[in-house]
Amino acid sequence: MSIMEYNGSAVVAMVGKNCVAIATDKRLGQRALTVDMGFEKVAPVTDNIYIGLAGLATDVMTLHDRFRMRVNLYKHREERTIEPKTFSNMVSHMLYERRFGPYFVEPVVAGLEKNGQPFICSMDLIGCINYADDFVVAGTAADNLFGMCESLWEPDLGPEELFETVSQAMLNAVDRDSMSGWGAVVHILTPEGVITRELKGRMD
Amino acid sequence: MTTLKPGEVNLGTTIMAVKFDGGVVIAADSRTSTGTYVANRVTDKLTKVEERIYCCRSGSAADTQAVADIVKYHLDLYTSQHDEMPTVKVAASLFQEICYQNKNNLSAWIIVAGWDKQTGGDVFEIPIGGSLHRPEFAIAGSGSSYISGFCDKSYRPGMSKEECIEFAKNAVGLAITRDGSSGGVIRLAVITKDGVERQVVYGNELPTQYTG
Repeated sequence: MSIMEYNGSAVVAMVGKNCVAIATDKRLGQRALTVDMGFEKVAPVTDNIYIGLAGLATDVMTLHDRFRMRVNLYKHREERTIEPKTFSNMVSHMLYERRFGPYFVEPVVAGLEKNGQPFICSMDLIGCINYADDFVVAGTAADNLFGMCESLWEPDLGPEELFETVSQAMLNAVDRDSMSGWGAVVHILTPEGVITRELKGRMD
Repeated sequence: MTTLKPGEVNLGTTIMAVKFDGGVVIAADSRTSTGTYVANRVTDKLTKVEERIYCCRSGSAADTQAVADIVKYHLDLYTSQHDEMPTVKVAASLFQEICYQNKNNLSAWIIVAGWDKQTGGDVFEIPIGGSLHRPEFAIAGSGSSYISGFCDKSYRPGMSKEECIEFAKNAVGLAITRDGSSGGVIRLAVITKDGVERQVVYGNELPTQYTG
């Protein structure tokens, strides 16, 4: 089993009309054993940016702390809050710094630019950025998520419709992956604020 | 972890069988995985080898299907030749012969359970390697390690049919929650002299568990 599959994860982000969604599962495993069903994989970076990390749990936790440090330093130096695209570049740089001894994570960034424009991107473990205008996926359930997103996503979904779409994509993808699931959390970012909902899923 | 060949399909699994006065209750989860992908989430791991004798399969899906088919053939022949139903012990013995003699090529952990006129309900377990055991109740598969303590604490000799069913539902349900290789629905079968009653327990009908 590869190191990226050791803990198990499923992360997806989708673009809607003036909103973005980011969702992750909640399982923390050690190979086949499930250790925690409330493990946070997505964290707010600013009011308008969320980052979800799939992959090795220890690196997920360490990187969340390191991002918080770097974003705070940016705010002190620049006297303004960081923007999603800039933050993504920062993440990419931090990952490539470790090119020959990488963090075993696959980040997914979702946010709203200053002008309200939705932004999503994903990266591989050494920082190659993939920008998308529809959806991005990561984790052990990535293949399943690709299939679900490709069939369910359509452009210009409002916040409530986007919530339904991303929830169905997540729930049905993790049901076909033995290493992810055990509940899910969905964040919808809109200009008015963030709506966070927990999904009740299969606990197997 | 099991020694599967690359690409081979794994019955990750939690299976169990419990004896009661008059028959047995057998139970299994329904997940078949290829690596991390869930190839079948509604598998039937409770396989009939004779009218009142079933086996619960775990390990390699191919190996256990092949072994069960061969045993089914031999039991059919036995019934023809003896004009009477084989005992569960005979079925278990046939499973053991195949699993032991082919131990280097097989990955199978099987529970054989059923009802016969001589003994009533009977349970046998054949772990990897091909030894034969005859416990009062048996648990097997990757998910069984998580429920050994629970089963040892909950089991009492002389439980009724209904108590055995609840015991099995609780045990398999707990294992499904913790074991990534087990999941889906719980398939149950109650085997008595009157026949085989099969039932399915869905996730939302499970006894309540703490899940954080």
